Amino acid sequence: MTLNALLKAALTGAGSAALIASAGMAAAQEYPERPIEMVVTFGPGGGADLMGRQMGRLMEKPLGVSIPVSNVAGASGNAGLTRLRTDPADGYTMGTLISLTVASWASGLGDSKPEDFQVLAVVQNSPSFLFVPASSPYQTAEDLFAYAKENPGELTVATSGYGTQDDVTLKLLARDGVQMENVPFQAPGERYASPIGGHTAVLYEEPGDVAQFLKAGQLKPLVVFSKERHPSFPDVPTSVELGYDISGLDNFRTVAVRAGTDPAIVEKLQSAVEESVASAEWQTFCAETYSCIQPVTGEEAQAMIRDFLQLITDQLAS
Amino acid sequence: MQTIDLLMAGFASAFQITAFLTVVAGLLVGVIAGALPGISFVNAMAMALPFTYAMNVTHAMLFLGGIYVGGVFGGSISAIMINVPGTPASLPATWDGYAMTKKGQVKRALTIAVTASAVGGLVSALLLTFLSAPFATFAMKFSQPEFFAATVLGLVSVIAIAKDKPVITMISLLSGMAIGTVGVDPLYGQARFSFGIPEVESGIRFVVVMIGLFAIGEVVDLVATDRDLRPRKADGKVAGASFRDIWNVKGAIARGTALGCMIGVIPGAGATPGAVIAYGVEKQVNPRGKEFGTGIEAGLAAPEAAKNATTGAAMVPLLTLGIPGSAATAIMLAAMMLQGVNPGPLLFIMDPSMVYTIFAAMIIANVLMIGAGVGVAQMFSTLMRTPPAILAGFIVILSLIGAYGVRNNIFDVYVCLVFGVIGWAMKRVGFPSAPLVLGVILGPLAERYFLTSIANSRQDYTVFFTRPISATILSLALIFVLWSLWPSVRTRIGRQPAQAKPKER
Repeated sequence: MTLNALLKAALTGAGSAALIASAGMAAAQEYPERPIEMVVTFGPGGGADLMGRQMGRLMEKPLGVSIPVSNVAGASGNAGLTRLRTDPADGYTMGTLISLTVASWASGLGDSKPEDFQVLAVVQNSPSFLFVPASSPYQTAEDLFAYAKENPGELTVATSGYGTQDDVTLKLLARDGVQMENVPFQAPGERYASPIGGHTAVLYEEPGDVAQFLKAGQLKPLVVFSKERHPSFPDVPTSVELGYDISGLDNFRTVAVRAGTDPAIVEKLQSAVEESVASAEWQTFCAETYSCIQPVTGEEAQAMIRDFLQLITDQLAS
Repeated sequence: MQTIDLLMAGFASAFQITAFLTVVAGLLVGVIAGALPGISFVNAMAMALPFTYAMNVTHAMLFLGGIYVGGVFGGSISAIMINVPGTPASLPATWDGYAMTKKGQVKRALTIAVTASAVGGLVSALLLTFLSAPFATFAMKFSQPEFFAATVLGLVSVIAIAKDKPVITMISLLSGMAIGTVGVDPLYGQARFSFGIPEVESGIRFVVVMIGLFAIGEVVDLVATDRDLRPRKADGKVAGASFRDIWNVKGAIARGTALGCMIGVIPGAGATPGAVIAYGVEKQVNPRGKEFGTGIEAGLAAPEAAKNATTGAAMVPLLTLGIPGSAATAIMLAAMMLQGVNPGPLLFIMDPSMVYTIFAAMIIANVLMIGAGVGVAQMFSTLMRTPPAILAGFIVILSLIGAYGVRNNIFDVYVCLVFGVIGWAMKRVGFPSAPLVLGVILGPLAERYFLTSIANSRQDYTVFFTRPISATILSLALIFVLWSLWPSVRTRIGRQPAQAKPKER
């Protein structure tokens, strides 16, 4: 190759590199130019769906483009994450990433890792409670736990499955002498119908998913698995108060994009999420579902996912 | 009576022009979407959800309710006319409905189907209005063992469609149940038969299997055999069913409606098991049961009435308890929650006018459905005049869109194409494909209910027989099996001495 040709090639290379770089910068500046897809990783009607739809709807205003929702359900949310992970990292696909899915990774489901995603913000967080039907013979956590200690394995608890944070909580309770039987209900409707109908003694759930039953007085909260009392339920004692050191297994919901997305785009999306969370509409929504938090962003949010996965993995292994 | 007053007020607001048009729009969207192969009413409702953001919550419920009622019926139009069920619940409509079409009685079949559906839906809407409180209490008596027993009854009902080939029907059913086990298991969250492929972990959806086997398989067969779908001249002469014809199947409609109402109110079951069980029961009870599958009116009317009777009933637990029992009612719940309305007992106290407007709209929708159904069927028969090759291409595209739309996953499109080829092969060799689809639908339900029942009774396997409702349903299922197998056993016993005699000589 002559020197001339080499120089020409080098120049062309540099030129195109510059072109690509400027195009990339332009892309970030002009972003978003077209609708952004919100991948909800569960079917219509659940907690993740409500969050994704509400967030998508509110983010339309600051971003100025429409945000259609696609429900890509299956495999505890992993099917939707596969889509989020394989779509281009251009900021035109975002999705819901929730604690239940992260917990499923610990049991070997899916092939996603925390580093595959860039969490925009953790927008909802709620500790779980034990609820009993209004007609239950156990009206306080003390009564319930005392009965369970005397009659190990006799009380049944409706949960979302084995290998989930529900299961881990029950295992930790059993370690401390309160042994209750885990009864997994995959369909949320059936999970709530069973204790209300008196077929299962206890329900393990976050309050937001059963708000209508709480307001109607069909279910009564007995204990919250947390270090601090829940502001909406100041009379409900915490597990820690009762002498059971169980916390950090909260249900959180985040909005995420694929890792490797242009930081300028991530920043735009992140501020749109923060603006949406600050809106009166979102505040009403999260108050209704008892899940309001200050959004957690950046490295702190990434660490939350990693730590949660580690915690579940350790507990399931022991 | 307070209920009547509230209902009258409900009618008044449902008949306001915007509300009324919302119901009609929903109904039309539902019937058309239901009739299009591949697009089910659940798809249509999910797609309509964003449109409800702009409506007030009452209108949102009217719109979705209209789609629900219309869509559950709409699937039967394509089932009867081209043997392709538009939604899984219309599967039984292909057995006697399409058989009637082959005999040149397409109009008659459609009239019977739409009337039976409307009667079923109307009774169920009235039940929702007047008896939702006691019915909700009844539904709460059902727990996992009862759901399991009802699913078993659905599975044995499949034997009723076996006609003279019980063995290959069972093979087909069991293959379906095996396909249903693919993917993440419902209790442990472990992947089964996924071979490490992430897409397979999401499982194989019954809607995708049904679209493949029926829509694609049927269309390939249509083109391969060069069949002519154009309405024959003779068809025009056979009028729709008269009032007398409908009156003749009143027993079938009544039984279908009763079964549909009971099955619909149970969370988790829904329109498809309702229609299948109603067909199975009708085949045993009806004096002409043995001829079912050859185009018998009662065999069409019973499942049609049952599947629409599940619509109002399924809204009982949603509105009175806040519990969505099916995919369709889960979407309604989402529409309400997104607007900050929580269904449940409080709703009746806080906003009775909304509740009764929904009730009135459900009643109106079922009456109007007759018109919408006949209109869309007319449109369809015009469509059928297009050359089969073009029609076939159209159906394939719609089917693939439908398969993709189930959960927006391209993998489902490949699965659908594979089942299309399987469906065509099964049709060629005369292997029944309906039991396979029912296996994929009912198998995972049976598994889930069985395992949860056992866990909830602390590993006590006798729970299915010690609970009265569960034991009753299971004994019904047993009687059902014996009753339907008895004729073939009897002929076999009868035949043996006859064959033995010549040997003696």
